[in-house]
Amino acid sequence: MLVGAFACAHTPQLLIRPPTEDRDLVLRVHAAFARVKRRIEALRPDAIAIVAGDHVEAFFLDAVPALAVYAGAECAGVFGPYRYRFPIHEPLARSIVEQGIERGFDLLYTQGAALDYAFYVPLHFTMPAPPVPIVPLHVNVYLPPQPLPRRCYEWGAALGGILRARPERIVLMASGGLSHFPGTDRYASPDFDGDRGLLERMREGRGRELAVLTGAELDTAGNVELRTWITLLGAVGDACADVYCYEPSWHHGNAVAEWPL
Amino acid sequence: MSAGPHYAFPPARAYRLNRCLWAIKSDPAYCARFLADPVAAMGELELSAEERAALSPLDRDALVGRGAHPYLVFMADLRLRIAREPGSVEYF
Repeated sequence: MLVGAFACAHTPQLLIRPPTEDRDLVLRVHAAFARVKRRIEALRPDAIAIVAGDHVEAFFLDAVPALAVYAGAECAGVFGPYRYRFPIHEPLARSIVEQGIERGFDLLYTQGAALDYAFYVPLHFTMPAPPVPIVPLHVNVYLPPQPLPRRCYEWGAALGGILRARPERIVLMASGGLSHFPGTDRYASPDFDGDRGLLERMREGRGRELAVLTGAELDTAGNVELRTWITLLGAVGDACADVYCYEPSWHHGNAVAEWPL
Repeated sequence: MSAGPHYAFPPARAYRLNRCLWAIKSDPAYCARFLADPVAAMGELELSAEERAALSPLDRDALVGRGAHPYLVFMADLRLRIAREPGSVEYF
């Protein structure tokens, strides 16, 4: 069953805390993450299914899946001096692959790809104690042509159905966003007004409206990663978001939200 | 770069260049070799003279102009900076 739904920013500066960042802002985002962790602990999940956009880490140009499921025994990732390893909830991962395929989604699965920081930055801060196994779910966000937002929403709706039918207590988490433009000449000028409009629609339970955004609109807004949030919106339907924080830094619209179910 | 999308389809001609950036970002052993001897490390990957010039020192605009993915340029640069200056993380 699906017991909780959250979305978290994952910008690596939240983890590595370089001198370029506003300390107080980063700590406010950390406080929102701590609130997510407490909520997840109260929900007593058996597993966390986490939807994130691979930053060309697990999948380089040798093979670019639109949607993928990590279905190995464990997964691991490295970011500079940081090392992470998580056990996978194998029965859940396998059932997502099998039932996703049955529902018409041609999912790639992997049992060995590297884990991207988009997965472990939020988990670093929000993994409950004691920790639970995860299922990483990839959405291609950085290598065009990416899946359409509508397709992400449809996949999320199917995923929500799969999770609700499972015997385990499952938290669904989306990792990513909001507006940022890493590596481009717009890095220092994200679209914060656009972010606030998106969050307002999510607060009002109008998440399905985001499914009609185009890929070009997401690219223009610095929100290619919104695909992960849109996937979650497909799973939660018209639930209203409780936005824990929106903290615009000089390069990133950091948002943390829960959809109480 | 501002005329098209921020993240465009990676041109096939830039595959080796993107491979090098990916290796700096995602392969700690390659990143260490690149830091120790960039000419030798780039020699492993059949890069053109122009690509090598744009990689060391890292020139974002030249790399993106040659088809490098902007995100790979960004994160390769960040990884190199973290490796060169370990004190640049956990500042607070």
